[in-house]
Amino acid sequence: MNNLIILPVIIPIITGMVLVIFRNNIWLHRFLSLLATVLIGIVSVLLLEQIRTKGIQILCLGGWEAPFGITLVADMLAVLLVLVTAIVTFCCLCYAFSSIGAERERHYFYSFCLFLIAGVNGAFLTGDIFNMFVCFEVMLVASYVLISLGGSRIQLRESAKYILINMISSFLFLVAIAFLYSMTGTLNMADLSVRVAEAGQGGLMTAVSLLFLFVFSLKAGLFLFFWLPGSYSVPPTAIAAIFAALLTKVGIYAIIRLFSLVFYHDPGVTHLFIGILAAASMVLGAMGAVAYWDIKRIITYTVVVGVGFVLAGFASFSLVGIRGSVYYLIHDMVVKALIFLIGGTVIHLTGTGKLREMSGLIRMYPKLGWMFFIAALSVSGIPPLSGFIGKIFITEGTFQSGYYWLGGIGLITSLMVLYSVMKIFMNVFWGYTNLTEDMQKGTTRGLLLPMAILTLLTIALGLGTEGIHEYVDFAVEGLMNPNLYIDAVLGFKGQ
Amino acid sequence: MSCFYLALGIPFIFALLVPFLHKKFNPKIHTGWFILFVPLVILFYLLSLNPSIAGGKTIYLTLLWISAYDINLTANIDGLSLLFGLIIVGMGFLVILYSIYYMSKLREALDNFYVYLLLFIGSMLGLVFSDNVFVLYVFWEMTSISSFLLIAFWFQREKSRSGALKSMLITIFGGLSMLAGLIILSMITDTNSIREMISKVGIIQSHYLFVPAMVLILTGAFAKSVQFPFSIWLPDAMEAPTPVSAYLHSATMVKAGIYLVARLTPVFGGVPQWFWFVSGIGLVTLLYGSINAVRQTDLKALLAYSTIGQLGLIMSLLGLGSAALYFEAANEGAIYAVAIFAAIFHLVNHATFKGCLFMVVGIIDHELGTRDIRKLGGLLQLMPISFLLAVIGSFAMAGLPPFNGFLSKELFFTAVLNAVKMNIFHMETWGVLLVFLAWIASVFTFIYCMTMLFKTFAGVPKGRKLKKKVHEAPIGMLISPSILAGLVIAMFCYPNFFSKHLLQPAWEAVLPTFATSGLLQIEISAWHGLNTELLMTIGVVAVGTLLYKTIRKWYGIYRYYPTALTLNNMYEFLLEKLEQFSLAVTNRYMTGSVRDYLVYIFGVIILAGGGALLMFDGISFNSSQDSAVSFYELLLLFGMLSAALAVLLAKTRLAAVVAVGALGFLVAFFFVLFRAPDLALTQLVVETITTVLFLLCFYHLPRLKKDDSPIRFKAVNGVISAGVGLLVTLFALSANGNRLFESVSKFYENAYELAGANNIVNAILVDFRGFDTMLEILVLSMAGLGVYVLIKLHLAGRTENEGTK
Repeated sequence: MNNLIILPVIIPIITGMVLVIFRNNIWLHRFLSLLATVLIGIVSVLLLEQIRTKGIQILCLGGWEAPFGITLVADMLAVLLVLVTAIVTFCCLCYAFSSIGAERERHYFYSFCLFLIAGVNGAFLTGDIFNMFVCFEVMLVASYVLISLGGSRIQLRESAKYILINMISSFLFLVAIAFLYSMTGTLNMADLSVRVAEAGQGGLMTAVSLLFLFVFSLKAGLFLFFWLPGSYSVPPTAIAAIFAALLTKVGIYAIIRLFSLVFYHDPGVTHLFIGILAAASMVLGAMGAVAYWDIKRIITYTVVVGVGFVLAGFASFSLVGIRGSVYYLIHDMVVKALIFLIGGTVIHLTGTGKLREMSGLIRMYPKLGWMFFIAALSVSGIPPLSGFIGKIFITEGTFQSGYYWLGGIGLITSLMVLYSVMKIFMNVFWGYTNLTEDMQKGTTRGLLLPMAILTLLTIALGLGTEGIHEYVDFAVEGLMNPNLYIDAVLGFKGQ
Repeated sequence: MSCFYLALGIPFIFALLVPFLHKKFNPKIHTGWFILFVPLVILFYLLSLNPSIAGGKTIYLTLLWISAYDINLTANIDGLSLLFGLIIVGMGFLVILYSIYYMSKLREALDNFYVYLLLFIGSMLGLVFSDNVFVLYVFWEMTSISSFLLIAFWFQREKSRSGALKSMLITIFGGLSMLAGLIILSMITDTNSIREMISKVGIIQSHYLFVPAMVLILTGAFAKSVQFPFSIWLPDAMEAPTPVSAYLHSATMVKAGIYLVARLTPVFGGVPQWFWFVSGIGLVTLLYGSINAVRQTDLKALLAYSTIGQLGLIMSLLGLGSAALYFEAANEGAIYAVAIFAAIFHLVNHATFKGCLFMVVGIIDHELGTRDIRKLGGLLQLMPISFLLAVIGSFAMAGLPPFNGFLSKELFFTAVLNAVKMNIFHMETWGVLLVFLAWIASVFTFIYCMTMLFKTFAGVPKGRKLKKKVHEAPIGMLISPSILAGLVIAMFCYPNFFSKHLLQPAWEAVLPTFATSGLLQIEISAWHGLNTELLMTIGVVAVGTLLYKTIRKWYGIYRYYPTALTLNNMYEFLLEKLEQFSLAVTNRYMTGSVRDYLVYIFGVIILAGGGALLMFDGISFNSSQDSAVSFYELLLLFGMLSAALAVLLAKTRLAAVVAVGALGFLVAFFFVLFRAPDLALTQLVVETITTVLFLLCFYHLPRLKKDDSPIRFKAVNGVISAGVGLLVTLFALSANGNRLFESVSKFYENAYELAGANNIVNAILVDFRGFDTMLEILVLSMAGLGVYVLIKLHLAGRTENEGTK
């Protein structure tokens, strides 16, 4: 039993609630929300160490033992993601201070951000499939509000679609849980794993697992990403960055968790299918990124490519491939937040997102320009930035499993992504400076710091892979050996 | 030996320092002066290693980086890498010296320039010394990136940008392909070290992935070393400042592919696929480059095509030489190994004479403001020293004595003539063709060398067309090319000195199996009797002179060159089509209509979910455990079905809402029948509230429009909804019939004892699964707060955010 595990969920909820009460004190909002992310960060570092030394940590809520109560399970993967979530949120909140505007701040922006984080962390940490559904709901309702916060026309139009599609996927999630519960009689994921293994993953079970796959694909933007480009391009930059960095990752995490812990008996069907969906998302995403001459559209489509690439590694279902996926997942959270923040800043400065309407920004904003350059290279996995180690392992993993086509598609689409983001860099930052007087008034004051943190992080993660490999390998080991998870959850008999 | 890593780290450290130095001292002191000593220090350091390496030693060092995955900075200092290292820092020194006079400290962003250049020097050194394939890949891509930045140094120019983009796309494409190949190699051999791979040649060559790995790696090497058909990026890369062209795009970076091929010759060599692929592509590139160079009017473009040709020559030599590894007995193969020596020799020579020529062209461009042959002429009197340098450079390139190019050109002919005598790889049939092609390419090489030299310096000055007053370049710009020209002559005079200390060790490093047998011996002499090679050279000069004199007569054939089919146009076409096609496809399915998205989503679910159910025999009903259906239940079911149908057929919103409400109430009655009064009450309350709310809201909505959408549209809707309904039903019935385990809910039946609650539902809600409830409360409060915000906050008048128009 480890009470620390509840903190990443409960800290943001309590803080968010307190902020609702002190509505008009914006400085308090800013301070407390930052403090909450810092605290979550500290808690997750503590947990990382505990897991490293003592193995997977669990918390049976209410003292009800698994599988009867709700169990929170802090394994290495989950806590790593919680930590990165805290860092990314910290940066996005800092960015919001000088960009989101007093009106949105007064209308509970920080509270909703914190609630969103609570949902995200809950989804990472829970060991119960129905509780995961509830955490998804928390995350989604917060995102519904955040996407429409401000009530501008385009926001309302896109949020209507976003809400509709996510409601449907929630229904589907619920129905799938019902089927699974009917067959196995349990909701605890470790228990599910045991029971599915015992009964054998028959045809019906595999079909049910595909229903879960669709649900999470909708959330992750794996092939079923049609809702994503529209809804990620309407909210303000800070919110869009949080969405791009975190929301799809929760879906990815759920796929990885479920298909490594519960439905891992028939990878020739389920994982191959994930691989096909991943290939389709990479191709369609890369095509979308190449097609447009608009910053927001290009970078939203790169989100889809990233999702496909992470799951391509997982689809290989080999040690190396999954290791690559974990590295790339962490990398993708950092770099997507970064590139969305920079893209949003450019739009903020120039008043347009159209590449053909701007040029030569690097003269006025050299720091911004070079950060974008680094982000652009990192997003396409150019070494020695953070993406490359994941890219090598994902490719190797797919090759090992004989999915040469999948690895090949991954490499080719990364080139297309490079082309699309370099198109932004060359058109926006290079060329003759043609800013109008209006544009020159823009300032990046207060915006550069969070971006600089993320830029340094993407460099450090690439150069310092050695520093985190122990944690990542631990996480991968957990994914490859469901028994570690099961033993931690069900083997627990009071302390 | 941490000295070595320190030396290799200097460029990166200085790259970080340059911006500060530049800020402090510019424009008092040209930033280049600070940088100049970086390559110099490394040069001296590497030279100090040379004696032991030349003595046959190999130094192997390791610096841990990502040791967990065996991705370490392992350095393999042997003859080959040391030779490349010396070229890199040697040329680097000369180029930086030259750039101090070439790049204006007032007008140019020198800090950027030198940062890029230092990054390049560091990466290139890392590339040639790395023994770990993944580290090699890291540096490989870093050279591509720094080359990209240097080509686009004048980023205001459209042509610089497009040239940079083209070079990056092609070289990184090659890099990715190479990465795939290296990953396969490391999978086959279970090691990341090239040295260890070489020791596992047997496993590699018999593996079924041998050919794919070879093709992938060669694609990378060819893309970097501008082999056909990847050569198109080099002419456009000439948009870079001339020192960069001299350095990256003739002496060093473009030779990375050559380096890789040489390095991996022991791994892949000795098989026909490698032999033909490398030498064939090399020869085609040689022809392509030299024939195209003749028709260039821009001096730098001419040099670019000549570089393509020369690199093709070196590549083909490496291919021919790889045949030596075919023979079991070393003494049989040794004769073919001469080709490898010729490749290394020519590689060094090319760096000297081409560097010299580039710098001369830079001088011309700098002094006259143009490098268009049509506007030049008669510079002989105005710039005599430059002329002298140009003579040395171009005669060496044409393969004339007394310059080093002559020696390596002769060796090239020797290697080709040797290759004809091979009785393997079908050489008995094709060998003669090889000789002929090599000779033709040499003739064209001769022609463009003469064109370049005489069109620029001979004749009368065309002063009218030039803006500036012309005079000889400042002394500083002449130092570097003069040193190179000196080397060109020195290498002709003392070839065996250079051979012994530089070339021989590199040769042995490429062919380690031969090195031990002591068979790799060569004595270079300028005069070796009147043999076939010399006759061929005389033929080249005679025919070349004739063709040069009559160039006007036959130049017209270039007009037949199919411009529409040039590789450049294909590149443009491909890129444009890729964008257009992507846009068309994306716009086709991303309609923005949520109905379409739902069709896709449900379509996928029906097809894949239903497909899985059918394919894996998922459908199995089992009603044995179900209780009997009572009359009331049937009645309720009938009522619910009618209510659901009524929703579909309702003509007004009001009727639809009422029907939905009815459906909900009927569900509540099911709870009553199943003896769950608390659930029934909850359901009733929820249904009442939602129905009232709906009625209130819908009052304000416009009337339902008559649905007049086309029949196809309706049909799709019908199929999708029926499909989803059917799928869920099948799933539900099958899942119900497959209760494999007893439910955990048995545990909750002891609710009173466990939690002190009489009502099991309540106990579950507030105790067993209280966390769920808490989060659901959060969901509700968020929803309430969200609605409040939605009503209150309207950032009016804006259609987008943060000032977007």
